[in-house]
Amino acid sequence: MTINWRSYDTTGLWDELITDSHRARKGAGNLCRVLAGLSDEELTARKTAAELAIRSMGITFTVYTGEGSGSIDREWPFDIVPRLLMKKEWDQISAGLTQRVNALNRFIDDVYHEQQVFADGILPPEYIERSKDYRPECRGVSPRYGVWSHVCGSDLVRDADGQVYVLEDNLRVPSGVSYMLENREVMKRVFPELFEEYVIHPVDDYPGRLAACLRSLSDVRSPQIVVLTPGIYNSAYFEHAYLANAMSAQLVEGSDLVVGTDDMVYMHTIEGPVQVDVIYRRIDDVFLDPEVFNPDSTLGVPGLMRAWRAGNVALANAPGCGVADDKVIYTYVPDLIRYYLNEEPILPNVPSYRCVEKDQRDYVLDNLDKLVVKPANESGGYGMLIGPKASRAERKKFARQILANPRNYMAQPMLMLSTAPTLIDNHVEPRHLDLRPFILSGAKNYVTMGGLTRVAMRKGSIVVNSSQGGGSKDTWIVDLES
Amino acid sequence: MTHTLSSTAQRAYWLGRYLERAESTARLVSVNARLFYDLPKRLPLGWQPLVVITGNQDVFNEFYDEPSEKNVTRFLINDARNPSSLLNSIEFARENVRTLRGIIPRQAVEYVNELYLYAKDSLSEPLSRLRRSQSLVDIPKFTQRIEGFMSANMLHDDHWSFFRLGNYIERADMTSRIIDVGTDNMLADVVELEPFADIQWRSVLLSLDAAQSYNTEVQEPINQAAVLDFLLQNPRLPRSLAYALKSTRNGLRALPRNDQALRRVNRLRRKLAGFNLTEPEQIREFLDEVQIDLADLNRSISRTYFATATKRSPVKKISEQKISKPADKTAADPTHSGQTARSTKAAGKQRPSSRRSVAKRRPSKKTTSSTAEKGKSRS
Repeated sequence: MTINWRSYDTTGLWDELITDSHRARKGAGNLCRVLAGLSDEELTARKTAAELAIRSMGITFTVYTGEGSGSIDREWPFDIVPRLLMKKEWDQISAGLTQRVNALNRFIDDVYHEQQVFADGILPPEYIERSKDYRPECRGVSPRYGVWSHVCGSDLVRDADGQVYVLEDNLRVPSGVSYMLENREVMKRVFPELFEEYVIHPVDDYPGRLAACLRSLSDVRSPQIVVLTPGIYNSAYFEHAYLANAMSAQLVEGSDLVVGTDDMVYMHTIEGPVQVDVIYRRIDDVFLDPEVFNPDSTLGVPGLMRAWRAGNVALANAPGCGVADDKVIYTYVPDLIRYYLNEEPILPNVPSYRCVEKDQRDYVLDNLDKLVVKPANESGGYGMLIGPKASRAERKKFARQILANPRNYMAQPMLMLSTAPTLIDNHVEPRHLDLRPFILSGAKNYVTMGGLTRVAMRKGSIVVNSSQGGGSKDTWIVDLES
Repeated sequence: MTHTLSSTAQRAYWLGRYLERAESTARLVSVNARLFYDLPKRLPLGWQPLVVITGNQDVFNEFYDEPSEKNVTRFLINDARNPSSLLNSIEFARENVRTLRGIIPRQAVEYVNELYLYAKDSLSEPLSRLRRSQSLVDIPKFTQRIEGFMSANMLHDDHWSFFRLGNYIERADMTSRIIDVGTDNMLADVVELEPFADIQWRSVLLSLDAAQSYNTEVQEPINQAAVLDFLLQNPRLPRSLAYALKSTRNGLRALPRNDQALRRVNRLRRKLAGFNLTEPEQIREFLDEVQIDLADLNRSISRTYFATATKRSPVKKISEQKISKPADKTAADPTHSGQTARSTKAAGKQRPSSRRSVAKRRPSKKTTSSTAEKGKSRS
């Protein structure tokens, strides 16, 4: 009996499985009982089984070892204790995510057309014009259904009081969904008996849903779909190959594609050129088309923007959608929901301060030691200041950066991310985690059942990125009613 | 059903060529090393023929002053400046396989990696004779394991066809080169010496792992005519030229748009079927033609299936996209290095063979560059 929930240290924060009084949360009883019933040997055997499954299934992620020295593939870090969410709560979250993404897509479409949102004074146009991801080249283009961000990955966190917040919306090329799918496969191999105890909603329809979403972007009856990857050296290459295979789509690099004088996109095959109708692109905007963006890019396809503007090929996600994937725009999302949908936001934002507005900036500068300051256009945790953990000198330096370019920063109070029991050696300890669900938008919306739970494996750490020692858990949406 | 991209077809083809090349090179060096130890020291036989076989004499002459055992084995095994060296072949195979993940079975990808790691470690300098001979015997075990696994587990689709095509074209090329050198009468002065009379042809058979098959199939003492017939025409010997060409034809038949390449192979097969030469000089000319025809076939396949993929420019480092490539430029686009290596070889083949022998016997004389020029003007 190695797991004793009585001695589990809930640290006074919100734990996803165990309450402050060391009892299992609603729905988690069976799981806690099964885990506590495992001997040391059995726990080790399950852990080993998970590692073996990951190795034999070839689930890897790529770590950069530095400029010039290339990169290495590591096996995906996985914790065998699943994270549970009740279906009832999830339905609410799911509705909130759909609402957000719909409002954001309306916003992007507006930005590239009439810009009514500025005229109505919801937010000042300067934000957009100075946004790093605003692409004037996209003005006037009308993607089907008015949808620009077809695949969105939003990061959710739960604070100490149990409230779920949206931390950010990744509207450009979010990754991680393949790990969500693989985690479930591993879990089925390692804890088959748990799947008898619970009604767990399956996740494996995602590739089919994604394929349907991509198909809906073309008016061809059975369109040729390709996944455009930067290549094997990209950290998400595993996922690109995985999704292409699961969708029976073609995995291509930029050099496999060409835009003809007819402004159609073709791929080079041994049978000659084959026309491409939909491109699920996993490379950033600026590398898409050297004729329009970065002229040095060899990852993209010359003329691709031409073909897209002419309506000859669908791009998912659409170029320019990153304009809404900006941490300062984020602070306006509740307003955008009210403005475009005439609804109240279902999911709250983390309270945020815009450094561009003087009174809020002053508050941020006075309280740097309590706040997390984020640059508008970075992802993966780069360029952030975590006030409570930073040195006085770092805070001073950051204050100067904020003053030099206030548009580029926003700040939030430091959240006490919720924890979940995580297997460390042969016992469980609480570790902080977040959750990234994926939202598809095409002819209709779809939200994954759960998403990818990422865990900070180091004690006390809130850094969940796999490149920085983060792990992951299978995420169960559990239905108690059925 | 998805389409077969030109780019991945090209990599599968070169994976097939490099693996075959690695295996042949390992066997060639290892067999010849053992044979040379049988010869009395006064015999003039040197290591030069091995350099001739790989067709990179010019490169060799540029960096080495004499074809000693140490120089030649180093050049053939782990000299990065020799595009056809064993280590380069293995490294190019690995670079190709890395970009074929999802197409080549994962286990086979791992086997290629293991081969690479083994070769890099076990063939590093300084390379003692003992370590060298052990490692060279092991390399074919690795390559056989890769091919065996692929054959038994991989979808036999277009990529598989291209992989096998690469195997067989490389094999046809290598077989013709090994015979070529066997025909070169380097032991002319000493063939009367009874125990060494058949050593040259025995070495050729061993280099192609065909000595045992020869005894079963031919039942005639080793002699030039019988060995030539066996290695060129035998339909059952997997490393005979006839077998490799037939397999090449079968591989092409499974592919679309194959008319031009098929015509070339069939022309070559007819030429081979009509072979009845006995004069070494004529035989060498015939073999030279075979190699040139094979180079043409390679070009034809590239033009038909890979043309657009070949035009790609090498991927640059773009830090924002988190792309990092090995600094080595050959690794950035491994398929191209192979083609370069081959054209060098083909150019080398076009020089008049009589001059080549002269250059071989007196390597110190600087006749090579002028003959290379002549060779070029001839083509």
